[in-house]
Amino acid sequence: MVVKQEAVVGVINKVLLTFCLGFLFVAKAQVKDADSLLTYRKKVLETVEIDFLTSYYDQSGSHAAVTGGIGNEDLQDFSPTIVVRYPLNQDDVLTADIGISAYTSASSSNGNPFNKSGASGGGGYDDDDDDDDDDDDDNHGGSATFGGSPWVASTGASSEDILTSINFSYAHAAEDRNKYWSVNLGTSFEYDYESIGGGASYTKLWNEKNTELTFKGQVFLDKWKPIIPTEVHEYNLYGSNFQTNVKSYFYGVSVIDKEGISTGNYMPSKFKDFTSVNRNSYSGSISFSQILSNRLQFSVFLDYVIQEGLLSNPLQRVYFNDVENYYIGNKNAIANYTSSQNTSVFHLADDIERLPSQRIKTPLGLRVNYYINEVFVLRSYYRYYTDNWGVRSNTFQFELPIRFNMKWKLTPIYRFYDQTAVDYFAPYDQHNSSSSYYTSDYDLSAFSSNQLGASLTYTDIFSSLKVFDFGLKTVSLRFQNYKRSDGLSAFIITGGLSFVLD
Amino acid sequence: MMLWAEPILLKILKLKMIKQLFLLLTLLFLVQGCVAVKEYNKIYINDTDMQLASPGMERFETNFQIYRETAAGANGGKTGGGCGCN
Repeated sequence: MVVKQEAVVGVINKVLLTFCLGFLFVAKAQVKDADSLLTYRKKVLETVEIDFLTSYYDQSGSHAAVTGGIGNEDLQDFSPTIVVRYPLNQDDVLTADIGISAYTSASSSNGNPFNKSGASGGGGYDDDDDDDDDDDDDNHGGSATFGGSPWVASTGASSEDILTSINFSYAHAAEDRNKYWSVNLGTSFEYDYESIGGGASYTKLWNEKNTELTFKGQVFLDKWKPIIPTEVHEYNLYGSNFQTNVKSYFYGVSVIDKEGISTGNYMPSKFKDFTSVNRNSYSGSISFSQILSNRLQFSVFLDYVIQEGLLSNPLQRVYFNDVENYYIGNKNAIANYTSSQNTSVFHLADDIERLPSQRIKTPLGLRVNYYINEVFVLRSYYRYYTDNWGVRSNTFQFELPIRFNMKWKLTPIYRFYDQTAVDYFAPYDQHNSSSSYYTSDYDLSAFSSNQLGASLTYTDIFSSLKVFDFGLKTVSLRFQNYKRSDGLSAFIITGGLSFVLD
Repeated sequence: MMLWAEPILLKILKLKMIKQLFLLLTLLFLVQGCVAVKEYNKIYINDTDMQLASPGMERFETNFQIYRETAAGANGGKTGGGCGCN
């Protein structure tokens, strides 16, 4: 009953508003000359809009960064998200964007690759979740089966995680709709990483709204809660006694050299504890848009991004080619270590990834859209990227929306990407211990990628299908297949439902 | 390469980049004076597929690309930060 009353009140309000606006329009029209542009001011957003978006991402590869550039990269991610846009009045819109990203990762699980076969099943890097940074009761008790492999997913705490993100933005449009400004604030957090960020943007339109210029600034203040590989963690805690201290996870465990001979020489002495766990990002962006004809328009984007702090990933191992190799597990599998057939021996880290504490990125993008006819529209995008770590990259993307009728649309999408490697990249076991910076993360290597997919969209401009007071406006399904020249492959399926309040 | 020459070359490169950027901006501002499509002629331009922003559904792809690739930004969206990504 209350709902019905509210609906009736809503309708009355709308009628009154329409009447008032109509009255104002007529009144103003009477006092302005016929060519006046001062007319009814359309709402920036007519009504409340809600988008439900969900994606599923699946990846496989053989260059896991956590295990030094080789190993199982299987990863699955499920990300439901809700976006609510609420018109506060004719000029102002408030947007809330809340989502989670739940993932399982074979690579991340191998921060501690030993716990699938150890007697305790505990974690080596304080997987006990007691927040005390020790490993009470975590030592494996000298199990003879103790071992691991970069090719087999482990069962530690880092094998799965949930990233939660919450963002709010407020946008205001000037009465003449030639100026817009907005502010946003957001946070995200997961097991080993948290972030808070905010920004603002200002847009100016002129030349009869044919030309648009936007300035945007954004700051992210991020913080790692570093999780480091188990063997490095234990070395950091117990030093050279990490095999003999009864509290150590590796107490009584046999470490072997490449010949399979038991040794006490393993010392990841290059590891130094973190002086800072913060990662701050500051970005400034300028975008310029121009209508060139009644069918053609383009936009140019220029960003300048400065990142400072802990820019490496503490969980990612690095191996040096000028340092002896040490293993835990089955000595007979060492010869096959880089093969996925290896399921029983693990190479102990020489150090973790180290990268400079500052990075400056300068991407420049161009988007050109052309309205071919009522059936086809061509959307194109190009980006040139460069940074002070030695990366040069090109991105091309083409989309061709094909409208079958007023309701159905199919959009084939193709994207090409390439990049050079960062100056600090080398594959598994090829770094030199005298270097200051090193990574074996193949995301930072030289590669190219091809992404092919399509999007299917159903639009009902009358929002006929009702769910409570909301009408279904759009249903979208998007599929993309991604292949990288280093062998990584992935696909992503995205679904979306857009509702508008009646 | 002679090490002493490197800073000078970098300066020249930077100067070249600044010049190119200046030329680009000049060109862009010249272009805006050439045309002015009237509001009543913007039926094609105002089509949803002609929007210069990325479609909302693309956000998840952009998100995984930020993790799996080094380059990011210059698309009106995320430029880096806010995640343990590249």
